[in-house]
Amino acid sequence: MSSHNESILREPLMTGKDITYAQITDDILLPVENKPNKAWWIGFIVACVGASLWVISVGYTFWTGIGAWGLNKTVGWAWDITDFVWWVGIGHAGTLISAVLLLFRQNWRNSINRSAEAMTIFAVICAATYVVAHMGRPWLAYWIFPLPNQFGSLWVNFNSPLVWDAFAISTYFTVSLVFWYCGLLPDIASVRDRATGLRKRIYSIFSFGWNGSVKTWQRFEIVSLILAGISTPLVLSVHTIVSMDFATSVIPGWHTTIFPPYFVAGAIFSGFAMVQTLLLILRKVLNFEHYITMFHIEAMNKIIMVTGSIVGVAYLTELFIAWYSGSEYEMYAFANRVAGPYAWAYWAMMTCNVISPQLFWFKKIRTSIPISWVLSIVVNIGMWFERFVIIVTSLHRDYLPSSWAMFYPTWVDVGIFVGSIGLFFVLFLLFLRFLPGIAIAEVKLLLKSSSLQHKTKLVQEGAFPEDQVEFFRESLRKYDSVTEEEINALRKK
Amino acid sequence: MDSNKKYWKGLEELNQTPAFVKESKSEFAEPIPVEDVLNEAGLSTRTPRRDFLKALGFGLGAVTLAACNRTPVHKAVPYVIKPEEITPGIPNYYASSFNGQSILVKTREGRPIFIEPNPNGVGLTQGTDATTVASVLDLYDMSKLQNPQLDGKDVEWSKLDSTVIAALNKAAQAGKQIAIVSTTVNSPSTLASIAKLTDKYPTTSLVQVDAVSYSGIIEANKNSFGKAVVPSYNFGKAQVVVSVAADFLGSWLSGEEHSQDFIKNRDYKSLKNGKMSRHIQFESGLSMTGSNADVRIAIKPSEEGAVLISLYNEITGQSVAGGTTNAKAQTAIKLVAKELVASKGAAVVVAGANDVNIQSLVNAINTQLGAYGAIIDLDNYSKQYQGSDSTFQQFLTAAKGGQVGVALFLNSNPVYNYFNSADVEEAIKKVDFTLSFADRKDETASLLKAIAPVPNYLESWGDASAKEGVYTVVQPTINPIYNTRQAEQSFLVWAGETTNIYDFVRQNWETNILAGTGKSWKEVLQAGYISKATAAGSAYSANVDVASVAAAIVADAKKIAGEVELKLYESTTLRDGRYANNAYLQELPDPVSKVTWDNYAAINPKFAEQLGLGENGKVTVEANGKSIELPVVLQPGQAMGTVSVAVGYGRTSVGKAGDNVGKNAYPLASLINGTVQFAAKASVSKASGTYELAQTQTHHTIEGRNIIRETTFAKYQKDPNSESGRFADSHKTYDLWNKYEQPGHKWVMAIDLNACTGCGSCIVACNVENNIPVVGRDEVRRRREMHWLRIDRYYTIEENGNKYSKENDIANVQDFENVTVVHQPMLCQHCEHAPCETVCPVLATVHSSEGLNHMAYNRCFGTRYCANNCPYKVRRFNWFNYWNDSRFDNYLNNEFTQLVLNPDVTTRSRGVMEKCSMCIQRIQAGKLTAKMENRKLVDGDVKMACQAACSANAIIFGDANDPESEVSKALRNERVYYVLEEINVQPNIGYMTKVRNTFEA
Repeated sequence: MSSHNESILREPLMTGKDITYAQITDDILLPVENKPNKAWWIGFIVACVGASLWVISVGYTFWTGIGAWGLNKTVGWAWDITDFVWWVGIGHAGTLISAVLLLFRQNWRNSINRSAEAMTIFAVICAATYVVAHMGRPWLAYWIFPLPNQFGSLWVNFNSPLVWDAFAISTYFTVSLVFWYCGLLPDIASVRDRATGLRKRIYSIFSFGWNGSVKTWQRFEIVSLILAGISTPLVLSVHTIVSMDFATSVIPGWHTTIFPPYFVAGAIFSGFAMVQTLLLILRKVLNFEHYITMFHIEAMNKIIMVTGSIVGVAYLTELFIAWYSGSEYEMYAFANRVAGPYAWAYWAMMTCNVISPQLFWFKKIRTSIPISWVLSIVVNIGMWFERFVIIVTSLHRDYLPSSWAMFYPTWVDVGIFVGSIGLFFVLFLLFLRFLPGIAIAEVKLLLKSSSLQHKTKLVQEGAFPEDQVEFFRESLRKYDSVTEEEINALRKK
Repeated sequence: MDSNKKYWKGLEELNQTPAFVKESKSEFAEPIPVEDVLNEAGLSTRTPRRDFLKALGFGLGAVTLAACNRTPVHKAVPYVIKPEEITPGIPNYYASSFNGQSILVKTREGRPIFIEPNPNGVGLTQGTDATTVASVLDLYDMSKLQNPQLDGKDVEWSKLDSTVIAALNKAAQAGKQIAIVSTTVNSPSTLASIAKLTDKYPTTSLVQVDAVSYSGIIEANKNSFGKAVVPSYNFGKAQVVVSVAADFLGSWLSGEEHSQDFIKNRDYKSLKNGKMSRHIQFESGLSMTGSNADVRIAIKPSEEGAVLISLYNEITGQSVAGGTTNAKAQTAIKLVAKELVASKGAAVVVAGANDVNIQSLVNAINTQLGAYGAIIDLDNYSKQYQGSDSTFQQFLTAAKGGQVGVALFLNSNPVYNYFNSADVEEAIKKVDFTLSFADRKDETASLLKAIAPVPNYLESWGDASAKEGVYTVVQPTINPIYNTRQAEQSFLVWAGETTNIYDFVRQNWETNILAGTGKSWKEVLQAGYISKATAAGSAYSANVDVASVAAAIVADAKKIAGEVELKLYESTTLRDGRYANNAYLQELPDPVSKVTWDNYAAINPKFAEQLGLGENGKVTVEANGKSIELPVVLQPGQAMGTVSVAVGYGRTSVGKAGDNVGKNAYPLASLINGTVQFAAKASVSKASGTYELAQTQTHHTIEGRNIIRETTFAKYQKDPNSESGRFADSHKTYDLWNKYEQPGHKWVMAIDLNACTGCGSCIVACNVENNIPVVGRDEVRRRREMHWLRIDRYYTIEENGNKYSKENDIANVQDFENVTVVHQPMLCQHCEHAPCETVCPVLATVHSSEGLNHMAYNRCFGTRYCANNCPYKVRRFNWFNYWNDSRFDNYLNNEFTQLVLNPDVTTRSRGVMEKCSMCIQRIQAGKLTAKMENRKLVDGDVKMACQAACSANAIIFGDANDPESEVSKALRNERVYYVLEEINVQPNIGYMTKVRNTFEA
């Protein structure tokens, strides 16, 4: 693709010495083509335990009724919709990485898009379970769709944001799945080509007859671009519509025009945090340090910091507008968040979402793997509390004080949430076991342009002035995957 | 035509080959190897693959076919011979009476399902109290006895009769007493049947004793006027009412009838005429009546007498010793006395104490005020409470002395509700033969030798006379369900009479009541009552030696005065405890504390602070040497140093719903001056542990919001719009939504906050009418009660002339005695721009062309979005399958009790939202009746269940498209406002401002 060389000022997107295309394929397919290691098994067993907790909790709910949860006449949604919005939000990073960054030609996405998209799909699956589970009569869940029916001239209520939600989520899921799968085709073909026997047969079915011809590649590129074009508005629309579940209501604390952008920013915030959580472990356990580099980690931390700041501004705006509106119900709703019985949740949210990402202003912190990992989890705890604060503290004290009530979760509420995390990891770990966790074909594109190996070669050839090379050397010091020796090799020979 | 053609099936048959002949004899061409398969070897052989597949295929096919069966259809079997008066789907109404109130019983296909007041009756004609509406559930109570019992075993009636007669004869021969221990008996036919028994056995006597006694009034009236009766009160004529600890709108005497009359001087019609009565209450605990008072002064129980002495002094200008030293009370008394004197003839003082001296003093005051004849009627006196504490004392002494041969307990449960139950138990042991007429094995009946269970009043013939000269009839609306027999019938049988009860009641009426009135028995059955009462009572003058009475009051007050004083009271929901197994009543929140399913110790929040108690705390209340442990309620308005506890709880043997609910507080009472006193010197100490009460409301102030709008009468007189916050023309509203025509009817409601006393009978009526499940204590704790209609109660604390209605401000208040209360019935507002309707994804809740917000249960799949988006939080979700789930065994989880369900209203399964439907089934029935009669629906044809039960006429329902309907007129009132109208949901229920007739400074 590149007829001329990338600037040396740009940090490498791939590190390591003597990397060949075959080496990349070998590295990435290592977990797919070999028996899983101990770490995988431990993770998988723990996840399965979590998932079975989910099965038990959801099964118990279906058997006995929603009364198994802590909801009451005043608080009709609590952990269920909190968890739902949380998972949907987490899903956002995948689409943003795969679609928006593709359109903006951000090549660094190539190493992380696969896992991020997989995370999206599994997160949306987890979210969708709540859509069904929170219903009083889940066996009628299909009524949410405007299906032809024999009930007479019955139709859904197109005024209801829940109907919009059903469309938004299902569209989002479908498009994400197709996008992800299209991207997987060349990689599945690679697995197929290297496999034998039954494995080969299975992978050849799933590779859809990919033959690697130029025409195939050309179509692949076009489809990717088209799907990216379709997905990009979804990044904005899905959480916008989720936010409208609240924004179009009359409940103080919900009825807020700021919600759509605020929710989208929050979603990207939490999504990137989740990608960070997953990838930091992934790169270590699967030895992907050369592909998912410090550059990626730092870039994602910067996005977390920016979106976290947007979310923080939104929180403050909400408080200001509540005061500025002069509406007593509005003012009370926010005063109650800040100082009411659930103030601890509000301050947990403020600390985790507004204060903690500001730590990423420090380069030391944003390039530190353990701190990044901890903060990524802190962010998602904060985002869970954000949804809890919005949903529960708005509902529990609305207009008529006679109905004010507290919400206390039951073991089933907790079980479904913890269980859904288990479910997510079961899916994610199976994904890592059977499909390449990094887009092989896309990463290969970087080898001859953005890899350290390539840049070293150019430096040694003397393609760049020394001051720039010095800058480049300095920027490599943060990389945990680059040795001092490699840095010293960056000299004109 | 005969044919002998023969068709052969094959050449073998034509040729009749030997093989064919042999085979044609057996059914199957090849022998079936049944023996081979079923012998041991056959069973133990391995199943070949093909056999396995065959079996699998057959099994799968068979199961599939079986599963294809249609859902079983339960067919309703039509009558083979249809009773003439029953048309399926059309209700029949029968006149009857409950506790002396003339009622109409609604029956459907032979099942009584609803109790309404008899609008053409006498006395209480508008509304029923909670116990009356709920009483229909008692008919279907599973805890009742199904057969008579002797020594705890079911027996035949004949066996029981012979045993009883033998015992009666034995007692008569021995010259021992035969006592019928009963709560007040005012039924003429019961009295007549007792007279028959007395004729046969002359030692028979009737001992009347009431759990909540009015002996003090009876004794006082005997002393003052020579008439040992409880008078009846007509609060409709009173412009100034002073009540000293009498819950006269609630549990005192005839609260519901008092409400009906009292509110007539305070509701929107009266205000329209510029009139409003003034009501001053002195009491320790915040009673329902106190919560409705214009001025309320918190006093200790021992101060009640002193307050009355001061009041007497102020009115008469005398200076009898022993007046109150309470500064707040003194100020109020000065103002009150002036008012009372100024409205002589329209002023009355009532007192709740069951004490001869206090009541004598009250008689003296009322004589001064000219209340006798005008308000207090001693001629058409009340016969609801005739029990005498001293008579019962005499019975106990006689029994303990072995002088009683037979004791028959009728509607009476002294082992539970007499303060000294050990005494009662000891007495029972000394009686040779004991029998109870209880319908269940209650606390007393389970100690007795025999039980002769009586049917429910809805299965009985009988009558009542709640007031002198007024007679109401009780007629059965269903055949006796169990093998029960009315007590009257038993008396007749034991007296050797053979008349059946119907003939007996009828003969008694025809000879003793109807004679000379020109009315026939049939007419009485249709009307339900007959009144021979005089128009108004005549004036009486009390003959009271005030000085000595006052001295006695002061002396007695010392007996109960203490640092901490206990006040026992009868709750407006459970009353004296006899209805404790009624789940509707158990779940009806207390009008003031909003507590369900428990009694509690109500103490002032400051007092609680001193004791180191907070929410969910527990205390030990000790009085008269006995103590009980109770959860506390921090009750604003409660006098400092007092604790109030409701009696009627803590039943141990009443049934599934009522057993062990709360604690029995009767033992804390005592006997002073020969009457049972509900006040005592007490001590309260913090008990270990916590207990969460099931309250339907846990936040008690309006937080300064304008959802309640209130003004004073003085301001109202200057400007009727006062504080109503109407912005009618000054405010332009904009609308996003299409306007829909409502050309036919437009159903709306008006609620008068000045009329609503908060009693809650509307809630029970709504429950019964709409099959609303009772969910039990745990679910109420989780804030999941299902009531479609609730009554919100808000406090405003007044201190130093400031009013506090915000939680944060109240935190700094030091004095919680001075509280004003407002009751606001809250139900679905049927908003024109209903927020619930727009958010339902499946259109399960939609608007009708008659302005109603409908709920299609079948379409609901339970997202609960509508409930979240309801600003009034009136939507209720079926978290479980409440009406038919073994975990909710309160009442409906059996086929028998399910007979109480209203067939016009579907029961809701779990996962479905529900809410007030504006009794749509009643609207439809009204429209159909009008259509059948080929006329237009007129105002008043359709009444909501809540409206029918409201004696204060606080709920007015009707058609807004009819400008002459009562509701249209009411909604044109200046006081009308709409709750949360600023969010433009356009509710269809208008509220009228609360007006308080306070003293102007």
